[in-house]
Order: sequence, then structure tokens, then C-alpha cells
Amino acid sequence: MREGACKLLAACSQREQALEATKSLLVCNSRILSYMGELQRRKEAQVLGKSGRRPSDSGPPTERSPCRGRVCISDLRIPLMWKDTEYFKNKGDLHRWAVFLLLQLGEHIQDTEMILVDRTLTDISFQNNVLFTEAGPDFELRLELYGACMEEEGALAGAPKRLATKLSSSLGRSSGRRVRASLESAGGLGSSPILLPTPAVGGPRYHLLAHTTLTLAAVQDGFRTHDLTLASHEENPAWLPLYGSVCCRLVAQPLCMTQPTANGTLRVQQAGELQDWARVHGVLKGTSLFCYRQPEDADTGEEPLFTIAINKETRVRAGELDQTVGRPFTLTISNRYGEDEVTHTLQTESRGALHSWMEALWQLFFDMSQWKQCCDEIMKIETPAPRKTPQVLAKQGSLYHEMAIEPLDDIAAVTDILAQREGARLETPPPWLAMFTEQPALPNPCSPASVAPAPARTHPMPWGRPRTFSLDAVPPDHSPGAPRSVAPLPQQRSPRSRGLFNKGPPRTWLQSPV
Amino acid sequence: MSYIPGQPVTAVVQRVEIHKLRQGENLILGFSIGGGIDQDPSQNPFSEDKTDKGIYVTRVSEGGPAEIAGLQIGDKIMQVNGWDMTMVTHDQARKRLTKRSEEVVRLLVTRQSLQKAVQRSMLS
Repeated sequence: MREGACKLLAACSQREQALEATKSLLVCNSRILSYMGELQRRKEAQVLGKSGRRPSDSGPPTERSPCRGRVCISDLRIPLMWKDTEYFKNKGDLHRWAVFLLLQLGEHIQDTEMILVDRTLTDISFQNNVLFTEAGPDFELRLELYGACMEEEGALAGAPKRLATKLSSSLGRSSGRRVRASLESAGGLGSSPILLPTPAVGGPRYHLLAHTTLTLAAVQDGFRTHDLTLASHEENPAWLPLYGSVCCRLVAQPLCMTQPTANGTLRVQQAGELQDWARVHGVLKGTSLFCYRQPEDADTGEEPLFTIAINKETRVRAGELDQTVGRPFTLTISNRYGEDEVTHTLQTESRGALHSWMEALWQLFFDMSQWKQCCDEIMKIETPAPRKTPQVLAKQGSLYHEMAIEPLDDIAAVTDILAQREGARLETPPPWLAMFTEQPALPNPCSPASVAPAPARTHPMPWGRPRTFSLDAVPPDHSPGAPRSVAPLPQQRSPRSRGLFNKGPPRTWLQSPV
Repeated sequence: MSYIPGQPVTAVVQRVEIHKLRQGENLILGFSIGGGIDQDPSQNPFSEDKTDKGIYVTRVSEGGPAEIAGLQIGDKIMQVNGWDMTMVTHDQARKRLTKRSEEVVRLLVTRQSLQKAVQRSMLS
């Protein structure tokens, strides 16, 4: 993939393509380094493991490791903080930036799509779902925001070729170690940025704009805002005015919640009936022990006969008490519901079976203590949608800009603007249209923005941006005693079509289907 | 659910996860919204406080994705996929619900029955 990216970069003519190619290249390099590092670690661990370790005796293992889980981060949104002069006036060239997020968990690195940002955007929103499998409860998800300027930074004539040739030679072991060492030493305060610095001069340069690290404490089945550590300052060419936080949905699904951890035949003592034991097929999954009539029911999706909850408050005991003759190998599960305590007694088939059930339950309790809030309920993870090709940022603008109406306004212009924005949605005329077609029987005595009927247009409004009128302001030709014409003049600018700000108290309560 | 401007708003919310239904070209949710900061709040039949300019659910289609997910008529929508809905215009609210790239929307809604249930359980 690296070879391909190098070739592509050399062939790039447009800045955007070059940015995309550079991003792929840099991400590739970082991945290679990270996997090499992981390989090294595993080899070392293997060597250490082989020497000087006694085989564990029977009994509970002293080191219990928590189960793995899937961690998914989605709906990433980073608010921007433009100066209001920049946002509204919109004068001058439109500076554009290309940004993307790099996410690292353990040795896996994933990137989001590249998004083009300019000053008409209030937030950088990433549509991706990024999924990491094989995460432990002690995971550290490092999030880094990289940006590059869309405008050319310098002469680029022969540079792409130089970049390509330098990178196409593979990273040898010694040079790799050197780079890694320099990275590790460079990270004085915290860990160093994941991305390697661009080795050659040419090609667009990505700068680290902000970073943060998320852990299990940040996981929640909902949206949360986290602080970002800003890493660049105004002198940096790729600096963006970041508000300083990132909003996202970070969820984790430990495997113990989604996969069955134990199953087998059990005999369950029915409540109240000492001698009546039902034979069931038990499946331990998540925070419940499902008891099915037959083993096949678990697969076919049949409802279980009953379900025993297993959560942090459940108490389990390998029962030596209540051992009636001929009923060995029992265990009891007790749950407290308010004032009552409900105890189920289960009999397994053999000592080995009892041992493995107890082992599975202890492992589950351990996992629940490690994964904490992730074991309260299964958090949903959607399969990540296939990556779309990066779209050129259409000049979005805000509602204000799109409602700009020329002085020669008429209703057709308004409906046209809306029709363009919404495509075919406006088959039925919108409800507010009725306001314009019928007589505006309500003159606006309170609204200072209303134009007096006699002079059709005293001052044509230069429609640069919406303006709020002070409620005290009185237009020069407004006289309270003058009779107000009720009949509309066809050329008269209707006060309501001026935009959101100038129409006085809202009169409608619209309803829209979604 | 009145609020004092400048003070943080607190509410007891219910999470509702709606999976949009594809109808030809469109992805629909199966409900209608009313309200917004550019609308007249006194005409809102569902709000307790007639100055509340929030977004309310005015209709839920039978058997539609919203009804299946548990959305009820009269609910006030506080948040959609992390985006705030308490201070938005009507059109902004509609747009945040109908993004074509999103197939699932996660809403935080509040309703008076929730508020009362929490109050009752706190007293007992």
C-alpha cells in the first residue's frame, strides 16, 4: 500500500489529491512502525515466558486476565471558534484546511476520512464509526487531530518525486530503530505524536493540532464531551481556532456480554418444591444465566424457560449445605430484589462440571469488576459504514446566507431558494406560503422594520448579512397616526420576507414531518 | 419545564434510539416535530410552560420507526446524536433529524410523566 501511495503522490497534480495521498502514506508508515514495535514486544514476551516459570497447580489461577472487548467511537465532532467578524462578514479569500483524525488503541491505528474545513463551518464532524476489536478494559484510545493548509506552502516543482523516491525504499531495521528511538525520546512531556514527521520537503505537510486520550472512564452509552489538548499555536500555518473540546460516542462491548461464556446441562430446583428438579440447558451470557428446555433452543432463538440474573450483587456459592444424599455438585445463586432474596440451587453433572461452572462465574465477576459500566447493559455498536470518497466541501453557508433575498424580492425567489436546498421535498406548498398569498390583514404596529406603504422603497437594503434592528429604532417615515393601508401593493416588500430577524414576534407554530 | 435564562437546564430524560426506515429515496423516522426558537410557543399544545421554545413531537405515525422505538406524542426532544435541540430553529431541528448519512438517530427526550415518576420515587 505504501508503494501505491508513493506513486500516487508523485502523480498528483491537484492539491487535494496530494493531501489525500500524503495522509495515506503517513498513516501507513505509522502503522508499520507500530506493528513492528508490537512484534518486538511479543517476541520478548515469548522469550521471557519460556524460561523460569513453574506450571500452575490446580486451583484458581493467580493471574486472571479480563476478557477482551470491542471499543467503538463514533459521531466525532470538534467545535470551532471563529471570530464573529470572520464568520459573518466572509470577506477575503476563503482559507481552507484539510483535517483528519488519527486514532490509536494498542498497536492498531485507524484514521478517519479527510474533511475540508473553511470558516463557514461551525464544527468539524466526522461521519465514521471507528471500531477496535481486542481491547482490554485498561485501554487507552489516543485521538489526534492533524491539519494541513489547502494553499500551497512553497515551491513544489520537483518535490513530489523526491518524496516518492525517498519513501519507496523500505525502512530498514536500523533506520527504523533510530526513528523509533528519536520518537520515544522526543516525547518529553507526554507521548509523542503518532505520525512520523514528513521526511521530505515536498508534498503537503500535516501538523498536529490537538490530541487527547480516552479510557474506560469515558465510555458511556451516550454522547459526551471531552477536553482536547491543543498542540499548535497561531504561527503554525495549519492552525485552526479550536474550541478545545471533542464530542463523541464512545462505547465498549466486552466479549463476556455478547458471547456465551459457559453452557451445559443443569438441574434446577424449583422454588418451593424440594424434590422437584427441572433439567435444563443453561447458557451463561452477559449478565444472565438462561435456562432452556433443550440445547437446540439456545440457537433457534426460543425463549428460555427462565433466566437467572447474574450481576455485581449476585452471590454464588458452591453448595456444601443442602446436600441431600445423591445430590452432590450443587451451587447456589442468590439475588436480592428489594426486600426479598431469591436463591436458585443448581446441580451440575459432575465435579468437573461444577468446577468449570464456578470458574466461568468467577471469571464473569472478574470481568464485571474490570469493565465496570460496560457490563450494566450491552452497548450497541453499529457496523462501520463503508468509507465514502472524500467530498469536496460545497459552500455550505449558514441559514442566514441562504435566506439572503435581493431587494427585488418576490415569493418565487424564496420558494426557489428552498427548493434548491431541499430538492424534491417541496411538492406540497409549505404552510407558511399561505401567509403571503392571503391578505396580510395584520399590520405590524409594533414592528419598526415594516415599511410604510406610501414610499415603496425608501432605502434599498444592501443584503450583506442579516441585521437586527433595535426595538427602539423608529424608521424616519413612521407616523403613528397615519392610516395604514391594508391592501397589499404587489411590488411592496413584505416585511416577513426579510429574513429571520426582522419580523417581530413569531406568529406560526410550524409542524414538519421527519 | 420552565427555565431561567442563564441557568443550566436539567431534565430527566429517556433515551430513544430510532432506526430510520428507507422509503424509496428517503429515510424517514415516522413522526412530526413542532416548535423552535423562531416559532410562536404559545401555540404549542404539548408544553407545560407556554414560553418553552423547544422541539416537541406532535404526531407519531402508527407502526413507524419512532413508535417502535418508544417515542410518544408530546415528548420534548432535548438532544439528537449529541446535538442540542433546546435552542434551535425549526428548520435546524428538522435538518438534524434528517441527515442522509445517518441511519440511526439517538434522541434524548423528556416527558412530564418521567419527571413526575422521578419525583414520586424520590418522595417514597
